[in-house]
Amino acid sequence: MPGLIAKHKKGFFILFLFILLFWLVTVQVKNGRFSFMEKPVLAVAGFFERIVTGTVNSVASIGNRYVFLMRTVRENERLKEEVDRLRLENAVMNELLTENERLRDTLNFRRLNPLSSVVAQVIGKEMSPTSSTITINKGSSNGIEKDMAVITPSGVVGRVQTVLPALSKVLLLTDPGSTLAVRVQRNREEGLLEGKLVNCALKYVSYYADMQQGDLLVTSGLDGIYPKGLPVATIVRVTKREASAFQTVVAEPVVRFARLEEVLVYKK
Amino acid sequence: MKFGFYVIFFLLIIPFQASLLNPLSIAGIKPDLALTLLYFIGLLTGPLEAALVGMSMGLLLDIGSASLIGLTGFTRGLVGLSASLLGRKVLDITSPSNGIFLAVFSLAEGICITLFLQLFYGDLPIFSLVVGRFLPQALYTGLLCVVLLRFIAGKNVLSALKRPAMQEEL
Repeated sequence: MPGLIAKHKKGFFILFLFILLFWLVTVQVKNGRFSFMEKPVLAVAGFFERIVTGTVNSVASIGNRYVFLMRTVRENERLKEEVDRLRLENAVMNELLTENERLRDTLNFRRLNPLSSVVAQVIGKEMSPTSSTITINKGSSNGIEKDMAVITPSGVVGRVQTVLPALSKVLLLTDPGSTLAVRVQRNREEGLLEGKLVNCALKYVSYYADMQQGDLLVTSGLDGIYPKGLPVATIVRVTKREASAFQTVVAEPVVRFARLEEVLVYKK
Repeated sequence: MKFGFYVIFFLLIIPFQASLLNPLSIAGIKPDLALTLLYFIGLLTGPLEAALVGMSMGLLLDIGSASLIGLTGFTRGLVGLSASLLGRKVLDITSPSNGIFLAVFSLAEGICITLFLQLFYGDLPIFSLVVGRFLPQALYTGLLCVVLLRFIAGKNVLSALKRPAMQEEL
């Protein structure tokens, strides 16, 4: 046996490393993900991402500025930001209206405080094939903290996972580690939305709950992270099996993550 | 020189993968530059070095993203090792057939990841993941590999780098 090990020293070393990695993964499945070395790696990667994104954007903007007048571009950017804010307010107002209709007999109209948010640019997307994250160019120096909600005017994007002074990592809804308390806008049924990499699944939905394809899921506000009433996902498939007490509900996020350029970080 | 190359490689691989390839994204799918470079490293070096580079790269990607630390390290280690073993058989490293091999490796890694995640989290949309995400990415990555090989084939870059480490290990 010692002779065999000595003969295939390198092979056994590689095998040992693979076993070690597998063990590392299983430990995290049981005890939660390690955040070992996360901030230094994000800091270094973020530094270069800023350079790369900055360079790519600069080259693109030179082309733009030749085609369009500089003032028009600036005006356009300002208006786009304003439209985004107004769309967000509109989305929240629509939800408020629905709620008010339901509660009109009580005459207690609720007023939402205007959402306080920071606009951030997406500078990196999905580095690993096993997760769904983005990197944004705002961090703790802009008032961003861990677990703040990240949204767009269309709906929820995810939540802040790691914060550095000048950038943050955002866990998208579709990441397998992401969970979010939601309810069906139509009938107020509640559920827990989990990321499944390409889409999301609503967990622990009773066999008898009324779920239909096309139903819009909105945040319930119960998780203390996301403000209530923001659009999250649309149900695309509902499967019921006689043998199971639960139904399988698959949902597609309303936000198209592939096209994300700017996001709003909702400050609590 | 080799140490310096790896330092630069590991420093730049995450930002390049996360930022530079975004303009090439089609419907959210972009080629895996990190895997492509790992494949080349695998072809040019011995199994131990390729596996270590793959594991280190995977660990970096895991730490830099939100995945379970070690999962991509495991799969990338396998890819590096396999590419290195394949490298012993490949006569012409600049052949476009490497694009096919890389696409197969990429798809195999995707399936491996899907099975792992299914094992750990359960209830994954396996068909959608493989057909909707990993297969297109594998084809796109294979295409990137062919384009890169076409680009560098005439410049003798690969043969200049070729295989002191591999001979040492063999």
